[in-house]
Amino acid sequence: MASDPVVVTENLTKMYGDFVALDKLSITVRQGQILGFIGPNGAGKTTTIKILVGLLRPTNGVARIGGHDCTRDVKQTKQLVGYMPDVFGGYENMRVREYLDFFGAAYKIPRSLRQHRIDETMELTGSAYMRDLYTEGLSHGMKQRVGLARTLLHDPQVLILDEPANGLDPTARIEMRQILLRLAELGKTLIVTSHILPELSRICDQVAIVTGGLLRAFGSLEQIMATVRQRRVIEVQLLADGGLKSSATLIGELIKDKDSITTSATESVVRFSTDQGEQGLADILAKLTASGQRVSQFREVPMDLEDAFMSVTKEAEASAPEETSS
Amino acid sequence: MNPIIQRELIGALRTRRAFGLQLGFIFLLTVLVLIKWPSDAVVDLSGAAAQQVVRVVAYGLMAAVMLLAPAFPATSIVTERQRRTLELLLNSPMNRWSILGGKLVGVLGFILILLVLSLPAAGACIVMGGVDLQHQLLLIYGILGLMALQLSALGLCVSSYAGTSDSALRITYGLVLLLFLVSLGPQLLTIDSYIPQLHRITNQIRCLSPIPAMMQATGQGGIGAAGIRTPVNFAQGYAVSSLVLSVFLIGWTARRLDVRLFDRPRPAGKVTDEQSTAVRVLRRVVFLWFFDPKRRTGLIGPLTNPVLVKEFRTRRFGRAHWMMRLVGVCVILSLALPMVCAQSTIWRGVDVIGTILVILQMVLLILMTPSLASGLISGERESGGWQLLQITPLSAIKILVGKLASVVWPLLLLLVATLPGYAVIVQIDTSATQVITHVVITMVFTAIFALLVTATISSFFKRTAAATATAYTVLVCFVAGTMLVWVGRGDTFTHSITEAVMKTNPLAAALSLIEAPGFDEYHLVPANWQIMGVLCLVCLGTLLFRIWQLTKPQ
Repeated sequence: MASDPVVVTENLTKMYGDFVALDKLSITVRQGQILGFIGPNGAGKTTTIKILVGLLRPTNGVARIGGHDCTRDVKQTKQLVGYMPDVFGGYENMRVREYLDFFGAAYKIPRSLRQHRIDETMELTGSAYMRDLYTEGLSHGMKQRVGLARTLLHDPQVLILDEPANGLDPTARIEMRQILLRLAELGKTLIVTSHILPELSRICDQVAIVTGGLLRAFGSLEQIMATVRQRRVIEVQLLADGGLKSSATLIGELIKDKDSITTSATESVVRFSTDQGEQGLADILAKLTASGQRVSQFREVPMDLEDAFMSVTKEAEASAPEETSS
Repeated sequence: MNPIIQRELIGALRTRRAFGLQLGFIFLLTVLVLIKWPSDAVVDLSGAAAQQVVRVVAYGLMAAVMLLAPAFPATSIVTERQRRTLELLLNSPMNRWSILGGKLVGVLGFILILLVLSLPAAGACIVMGGVDLQHQLLLIYGILGLMALQLSALGLCVSSYAGTSDSALRITYGLVLLLFLVSLGPQLLTIDSYIPQLHRITNQIRCLSPIPAMMQATGQGGIGAAGIRTPVNFAQGYAVSSLVLSVFLIGWTARRLDVRLFDRPRPAGKVTDEQSTAVRVLRRVVFLWFFDPKRRTGLIGPLTNPVLVKEFRTRRFGRAHWMMRLVGVCVILSLALPMVCAQSTIWRGVDVIGTILVILQMVLLILMTPSLASGLISGERESGGWQLLQITPLSAIKILVGKLASVVWPLLLLLVATLPGYAVIVQIDTSATQVITHVVITMVFTAIFALLVTATISSFFKRTAAATATAYTVLVCFVAGTMLVWVGRGDTFTHSITEAVMKTNPLAAALSLIEAPGFDEYHLVPANWQIMGVLCLVCLGTLLFRIWQLTKPQ
């Protein structure tokens, strides 16, 4: 059974004069889900996040967290949301424990409970050993962990994390991924923006792709793949590179998009993209073998989030002039 | 051309701010000359009018150089280091001398352009008659040039040590005040001494400041000059001291400009609680336990404003042990001053000791307030902390109250620490009780005003360094700038104009209360309190409006 929706936006629009930063964004995220919020720079991700945490007022539309309006019920949403911006926001000459104590007090966590919460969040984020270090002396990865601990202090239902894996080394990135999965297991709802798409694809239940302020795709990774998988990338592996040119010429006669054909002499591979179905692909393979090409493998290149993102953004770019003219 | 000169000087000159500054500067000088320009065919044979203009122009230029010259170099190297462009410069084929030389010429160039802009006004004074080109104008411009060199060298040297640009500004302005004002103090205390060696030493110390040299150049004698007993050529003395100091500072800074500048380990984060027993005991004794900056602090209490505690914990200089050290020095100084005066053969009276105490307090307030308050809001915006504060349940008023209180307490401590000096005066001269009470009230008004002005300025800036420099400029202009009118009293400005301007100046008000020489003829209180009260309310209103603007969703 699907859990209750925790974050809901309906026709969320933000305009700066004539410039539309966000255009009628409607998404729903349920409890325990992780939403990967992706888009190029200036797509409207941070605008959406800032509206959700009450830092921006929408021009139109509604954003709700836990049933509370993000613009009107600011007091309630502040307790429900934990926000980790892309900047750390540290203070000089302050130790990590003092830093967390300050934010604990700012969130009005009772003194009797605060030490326990500080210890718990530091343990969860793997930052317990940093307690006496000064915040200005922390490395980027350490700051991300402490930032996450700060976000978790008041035990929020919803976590909004802006680029949590940005600048992390591979080990730290894997650890951050595990932490986020643990948080989702604990029932937290997460909205995560990132430019590292392979990372997101490993943890997200849902993905929202935004470009130019418009929501271009929204749903589970599989749903998005199905939407964008109208063109398939096929790889033909030959035994020797002698037949590369003739294979490419033959494939060119069989598909519409001749420009998509590329060859790699070092790999002895011909790649092409096509919108043909299984029957069409079987015909291409049959004609290749019939012409005497020694095909060792004929396979479809699997599509990942990065490909889906590129496909969606390319489509958006292609339709941009039409949108402008309309 | 050295690319650094091109970037620093031409880059600075391209800004609207620089253009506005130059335009305002020329306008002020033009007005000054026009006021005194002979309106009829009668020529002032004594040259008094030209001398009056020269004096005001000279002190105005001195104040401008004192304020502007340290600001650019103080942030120059530290900003390059923070932006990591210094690494690129040091890795380029440029050597340390061309980097430093470029920066120095870039900064000095801007000041020299301002001085050149003042030449028409100086030329007009010569035309008016009575001003000597060689012995007066050249001397004045020589002193100003040396000041610019000395302050630029000082700023660059401090910048090579400082961790942040605002701390570089604080330290530089503090050193400027120490060098230019505090160096005058020892001579004032030893006027009556019959030991000639003591006079010689204190006069040598005075040569560190350009003020006596400038007074000599404008034909005004000197502060606390004792007639024929001090035949010192202050201009020559200052020239030597400033050149020696400049050369030393430039050499020292050049020595520091290499990769060692980046060779700083991250702070280890040691806590006293985890040190050996001997170290723990020693630190507890030295810091009286509570003031140990490395002790493990407790959790913020339920009745305490968390912002207040955060502000105390995050300030390097504002931390308790530093404040206690400063308070200790203030107590000793304020007690020592009247004691030293009482020990001499002649009791100097409330006016002399009071003047020294008032100037001490004013210098402390002007120096400390921007240093404590200029980063209150700009610092948060610069680090990204403001956004984090906004999403906490803390109200805007609670944030503001916590921030203001974090400055009020140290300022209050400072004021209280200087009170023992007044107490000694009251003990010696009981009739001075009311005067001292009024002086203290004036100082409280000044402290509140300085705090509110600095906090308001802080709310308009996104960078603490810019807020710090602006706050110092505004406060120094307010307190010292208006004193230029007092310098030209009776000649350039009439008694009523001088009194009207002095009513806005808290330093003048306090000096008039204790009847300091030159101020005893003005009645500035309670008008000054009323003006200060209104200004405080205006600042508070602006500050509240800015906080509302900054905290509301955009």
